[in-house]
Parts: sequence; structure tokens; C-alpha cells
Amino acid sequence: MLTSPLPSSGARRYRSLVPIAAGTTFLAAVVIAFANAYWISTFSSVVALALACSGIAVLYGQLGLVSLCQYALLGVGGWVALRVSHGLHASFEICLLAGGLVAAMIGVLWGLPAFRLRGLYLAVVTLMLAGTFQVVISASGFPDGGPGFFGRADAAQRQLMARPRIAEGDRAYLAYAFAVLLLGLILVELHRRSVPGRAWALIRRSETGALAAGVNIAFYKAWAFALSGFLAGIGGGLLAGAVGQLDGRAFTAADSILVFALTVVGGAYDWFGPIIAGLLLRAVPSLLTDFAVNGYIALVIFGVALLHALVTAPVGIAGQLSAVAARFSARLGRAGRRA
Amino acid sequence: MIRMTGLTVQFGGVRPLDDLSAELAEPIVGLIGPNGAGKTTLLNVISGFVMPTAGKLEVDGRSYLALAPTKRVRLGLRRMFQTEQVVEDLTIFDNIVAIIDHVGSDDPVAEVGRAVAYLEIASLDRYGAELNLFERRLVELARTIVGRPKLIVMDEPAAGLTESETATFRHHLLGIPATFGAQVLLVDHDVDLIASTCSETLVLDFGRRLAVGPTRAVLADETVRRAYLGALS
Repeated sequence: MLTSPLPSSGARRYRSLVPIAAGTTFLAAVVIAFANAYWISTFSSVVALALACSGIAVLYGQLGLVSLCQYALLGVGGWVALRVSHGLHASFEICLLAGGLVAAMIGVLWGLPAFRLRGLYLAVVTLMLAGTFQVVISASGFPDGGPGFFGRADAAQRQLMARPRIAEGDRAYLAYAFAVLLLGLILVELHRRSVPGRAWALIRRSETGALAAGVNIAFYKAWAFALSGFLAGIGGGLLAGAVGQLDGRAFTAADSILVFALTVVGGAYDWFGPIIAGLLLRAVPSLLTDFAVNGYIALVIFGVALLHALVTAPVGIAGQLSAVAARFSARLGRAGRRA
Repeated sequence: MIRMTGLTVQFGGVRPLDDLSAELAEPIVGLIGPNGAGKTTLLNVISGFVMPTAGKLEVDGRSYLALAPTKRVRLGLRRMFQTEQVVEDLTIFDNIVAIIDHVGSDDPVAEVGRAVAYLEIASLDRYGAELNLFERRLVELARTIVGRPKLIVMDEPAAGLTESETATFRHHLLGIPATFGAQVLLVDHDVDLIASTCSETLVLDFGRRLAVGPTRAVLADETVRRAYLGALS
């Protein structure tokens, strides 16, 4: 006998957005209200990186795919956003979208091996692509207002990327970045709760089973790579806007590995895992610097944290926090019923 | 109706299906045979996971071999695997509607409602991880009967179930052709289940057709008993 009403997929989809909106808004409000200039700047990077990490969470958490070129895609998004800003003087939103869309296209191209490869082989191929980006960007550099498509300006003429008119100050820009992050997280959640999310879940469970369910595996994998690349590209544009210009030497293949590792540590299965990953990537080194400890010590901490996550907590910090919250909520419910 | 003509599959020196021909028209058809007889290979050919070396395969008069697996699903082919395929981090509702996503429906929620009402599945917001084996099998069965199925192939769907669970499963299985308009091709080693649900049975041995016909007659056939059932007595 059917004892529960059929769930309305629309209602469930929108209900799951409430904690995302509330949590992100609360974090943004606290940081913007209380952080000093140094931490405002740090959090602008945290938000940009959280977007890139949410893209990894799509690939790893939803499909079980290990892609090690996310930091390179962040760089692609930053490159395109800077180019469009300096070359066309387009609005900041257009620059962001252009960065996101180009990174999405490149993400799909770089994800093509995933249609045949999984696991270590896919990881190696994507890492090689990240290495290729490192070489190309080191040789050509990021656009900085110089003439032509690849032209470089000398120090005196270098230009900063124009920020959005409503967010020219650092604090306002951070609020703007948080709003973009919220939109990105909502985009991912809507995917998770609808047709592509269910298709990704079937593929992760078993590709043969997914095929028998009518899932076009190549199409949905390409979709995931496009979404992941889009989020990284938007993150790259935000990072370019936060700093004003980007340094080609900062986008190494090793950083792509670090971003992936910390997404696993932060949690690839919960919406706030990528935010924790962004905090680990930028806030922890800054915190160590605050306490006069060399920020590179963070790498040792991250290594231990990754080991811990892989051995005892594959759901990451976010997954563990969610489990604690669920237990607490169940206990409260039982206490309420007893009362 | 399933019509196969000279169906042959060759993997190197192994021939899991060897010049197999049969017409299977009954609402629930059994497919039995000893281990390695080619039963799962035949299901894989029907699903489109294995391309035969030679032969023809038609379902409801339509040639299947040129069709991609996803196209066959859109035409109404469904499959239940030997190992359960429920996604643990999706709810029961999402596990079922995930099939409709790819075959289309005017009213997916109503389709899921019809399937779960038929199978008496409760609490659709429970996650796959919370379900026991029997509940998982029911969810999988629900996945096969949504989206206007035409042919459901099942590979040992009752494996691991208790006697009472198998009886409930049998009850649901028997009603599928009349309620949902689909033909069922059932592979199982449980001869009682085959005998009580299938009006027609095909027996394979070494990839070849050993017998086909009314289940009662096939199970009483001396050749079949020697090759397959005899080992059980």
C-alpha cells in the first residue's frame, strides 16, 4: 500500500536550496561585517576557489571521475575574462560569462578522454593537460592591457581588470563574489536534483546499469565536464577581478592536484564542502601567516588531512559535519516526541 | 514477441551462443540452462551490450541489432541485473524516475505512483542505502515497469530472497504482462519460480537450443532433465 504521498520533484528541488542560500548568506554577512582588509582580500580568493572546487565536486562526487586540470581551467577563465575586459571593455558580467563559457568548452575537450578512461588513467591525462596549460601560460602570460591579442604592457602601462560598477570597493566586491558563488552552488544543486544528477548517479553506480536505463553516457559525462569547467572559469574571472591581474606562474599543475585533494578533504558530496576546500586553500595559509608560521607548513597539514580523509572519512569534513548534524537532529526529534 | 534466427556470438575460441533460433511469444518466458549455457550472453545481446557475430534478432517485429542500447530502452526494453543496481544516495522516487527521464512520459509522477502502488512500495523518500535486499529488488522491478515497457529481461531477479519474499515477487511478476502490457524474459535457476510463472521456456546448453515450448513439457523432457535438472536430483 502506498503510505506516503508522491513527492513533487519541483518542491523537493527548491526546498534543498534553502540551506544553501541561508548558509552562504550567513557566511558572507559575518565575513563582510567583521573581516579586516587582509581577510577581505583573502576571502575573495576563497570564494573564487570554492567555485572551482564545486566543479571538482560535480565530477568526483557525482560521477567518481578524478580530473586534475581544474586549476588550469580556473586560469583559462581568468585569461578569457581579462582578455575580454582589456580588449572589448565589456561589462564585468560579460567577462565572467565569457570566461565561464570558454572554460566549459575547453573542459569538455579536456574531458573527452573520460569517455574511455577512468580512475588513474583519466587523472594522468588531465594532469598532463594541466601541465600543458602551465607551459603555455608561462610563455604567453595573462592579458594585462598590452596591444593585440597576446601583447604585453610594460610595467608602467599595465592595467587592472575593471570591477563591476556596483562593487568597486573590496568589501562590496566580496559581497558580489559571494552572490556569484551562491548562484554557482544553486546551479550545481539544481543539476543534482534533476535529470542530469540522476543520470550521473546511475553512471557512478554502474555504467552498464546506466546504459540499460537509457542513459546516454557520453552526453552526460560531457555535460558534467562542461558544468565543472564553467564553474572553474567563473571562478577564474572572479579571481582576476579580485586581484586586478593574474600571474602566469601561479597556475601550476601541482596546484590542480592540491585543489583536487582539498576538495576531497573538504567534502565532494555536500554543498558546503567546496567552501571548506576554498578556506583550506587560502584561509589556512593566511591564518598560519597571521600566527607568524610559514604558510607552506599548510602543505604538510593538507597531506595528513588527505590521508585521514581517504582512510577514515571519504565524505570529507562536510560529510562528517552533516552526519553530526543529522544525529543531533534525530536526537532532538526523539527528545521532542518523549516530551 | 522475441524472434532470434541463427544468433551466434564468438569470443575468440569461445562460442557462448551458437546458431540459436527461437520464437518466444508467451507473456512470461523462462530461460534456463546450466552455468555457461549462454543465458546472460543472450540477455546482453538483447540489451545491445554484445553484438552477435551472426544472426538476426527481432522484438515485436522490429530488428534490434542495428539499434543502440539507449534506443532499445526508449522502444520499451527494460532490464533487471543479477546484482542489484539501486543507487544508494538517491531516494526510491528518484531511483524509479531516473528511468522515465530517458524514455519520456507525459506524467512521470503519476507513472511512478502507478508502479509503486502495484508493488506496494511505501515511503518513497527513503534512500537506497536504507533498503534491504527485497526492497531494493522491488525498486528495481518498479524501474522496469515504468515508461511503457514492451520487453523486460530479468537475470536471476529473485536470487538471495527468502521463500516468502520470492512468493511476493512471483505474485508481482505474474501480473506484469496484463497490467503493464510487457513481455517478460526470465532467467533463473529457481525451477519452481520458472514453473510457476512462465508459460513457455527456452533451455540452452553450450550456447545451443536444447528445448523450447510449454514450460511443463520442457521441464519433463528427458534431455533437459539430463543436461540441467538431472544434476539437481
